[in-house]
Amino acid sequence: MEESQSNNNNGNSIILSAPVWPTIDGPLGLTEEESLSYARRFFQYGFALLPLLWAVNCFYFWPVLRHSTSFPRIHRYVLGSAVGFAVFTIVLSSWALTFVIGGEHLFGSAWDKLVMYNVADRLGLTGWS
Amino acid sequence: MAQNQRPRSVLDTLGEEIVRIITPVSICMLLVVILVSILSSDPSSSSSVTSIATIAYSETSSDSSWDKFIGALLNALVFVAVVTVVTFILVLLFYLRCTKFLKIYMGFSAFIVLGFLGGEIALFLIEKFSFPVDCFTFLVLLYNFAVVGVFAVFISKMAIFVTQTYLVAIGMLVAYWFTLLPEWTTWVLLVAMALYDLAAVLLPVGPLRLLVELAMSRDEDIPALVYEARPVTHHDSGPRDGGVQRRLWRERRNDDSDLGDNMNTNSNLNSNSTVLAVGSGHNVTRLARAEEGQSAERDAELSAPLLDQRMNDHWHRQEEDASGESLLLEGIGLGSTGAIKLGLGDFIFYSVLVGRAAMYDFMTVYACYLAIIAGLGITLMLLAFYRKALPALPVSVMLGVLFYVLTRLLLEVFVVQCSLNLIMF
Repeated sequence: MEESQSNNNNGNSIILSAPVWPTIDGPLGLTEEESLSYARRFFQYGFALLPLLWAVNCFYFWPVLRHSTSFPRIHRYVLGSAVGFAVFTIVLSSWALTFVIGGEHLFGSAWDKLVMYNVADRLGLTGWS
Repeated sequence: MAQNQRPRSVLDTLGEEIVRIITPVSICMLLVVILVSILSSDPSSSSSVTSIATIAYSETSSDSSWDKFIGALLNALVFVAVVTVVTFILVLLFYLRCTKFLKIYMGFSAFIVLGFLGGEIALFLIEKFSFPVDCFTFLVLLYNFAVVGVFAVFISKMAIFVTQTYLVAIGMLVAYWFTLLPEWTTWVLLVAMALYDLAAVLLPVGPLRLLVELAMSRDEDIPALVYEARPVTHHDSGPRDGGVQRRLWRERRNDDSDLGDNMNTNSNLNSNSTVLAVGSGHNVTRLARAEEGQSAERDAELSAPLLDQRMNDHWHRQEEDASGESLLLEGIGLGSTGAIKLGLGDFIFYSVLVGRAAMYDFMTVYACYLAIIAGLGITLMLLAFYRKALPALPVSVMLGVLFYVLTRLLLEVFVVQCSLNLIMF
């Protein structure tokens, strides 16, 4: 029988086919009701340009992603977070890779103005002021 | 395998608990050593940081050793005085039940450390390696890192792994910042903080002791940056009602414990607390206490008092019998032993010591690392023995400084000469 519990739970994992704990911490984590509010809040706050929060949401509620039928309400938010994180990562990494690979060819003089170490020098950020 | 059927001895659980606290300490030290060895320039050209720790005296390389020592002593005294004042203010605020303010302050200082300090160090690394990242990506990543860190510290029930990671990151960043202080100041400061910790925790008027007693009397947790290791569960306990374990973790327990002065602080309903306590009827968590650290003019970072508490009889019982009987006891006592907590100040000062040692040579790093881990082990044993709040700094720092001096004076000469003459190494 598949190990359906999360890391820290021992005991009744073999017997049950559905996980009891929605969080990755198992019995040390949240109850289902709290999980719903947490998942929803993380999902909503992630819209403030915080894909890492979405990623943490997916990580925290990993059992929900694995067993989608057991926690239908939480699953919606976690799935949304996963999709959001994937989209954001694709967009951000494509921009970053364009910047790195394109370099001066693509951007011309703007490259030097945008690259971080020049910006830091210009603004004097690297001296401990 | 026969081993699986043998009941876990006290050595297994004890060992696992100790490993679970030594691992993050070691990781933090390793990261600081790596940062120091990548980023440190040669001592003569380094610009020293002006901060609270250097207002009394700024070290220049042209002073004599005695001048440097006196200057460093003044610096350290000023720093310890500031830390004492701040700790007393913290005690006062806690006494006046301004928990909300303390939590907000904690979140704010975590944001400053992760955002600004982390950003500066990331910029150093980018400049060192000429990493071609653009400012938008950098800002987005830094913003994410800092805000999620504040969440991890602020919210009491975040994923344990994420919280632990961020606490180690905060410790690493502040420790790296401390290694930028002048050399003599750093060493004298470490010794001074170790002595302060000793005084603050053990003396009856010590602020940290007052804080712990206040928290105990109210059965609350101190809102502070404290690293908590995952509690060790007993796998030989057999199937148990899942609810039991959960009750362990988050609920306030008022059941009678046979430990008299009990630190039976199961984690609270107090959602303000980020200090998680695992406890049970017969198991009591051990809090490790850290001390306040004050940092530069820009940010004031709050590290928790390093608390420690008593272990429970559970451990002793385990020696006798880890099967049925203790199963029952565990069933009632809820199965998991207390988790060890170590305050962030200890992480920071251990890492500062090792980071400073790294600025000399890796030989001193190895020696100081072993000394610190030995000191931590001794402290944990004393914790188990005395069952009260203990400072985690003194033993480790004193051993660390001793080993550093001995290595520099004696071991290095020996090793170098042996290598030169091709005897060994």
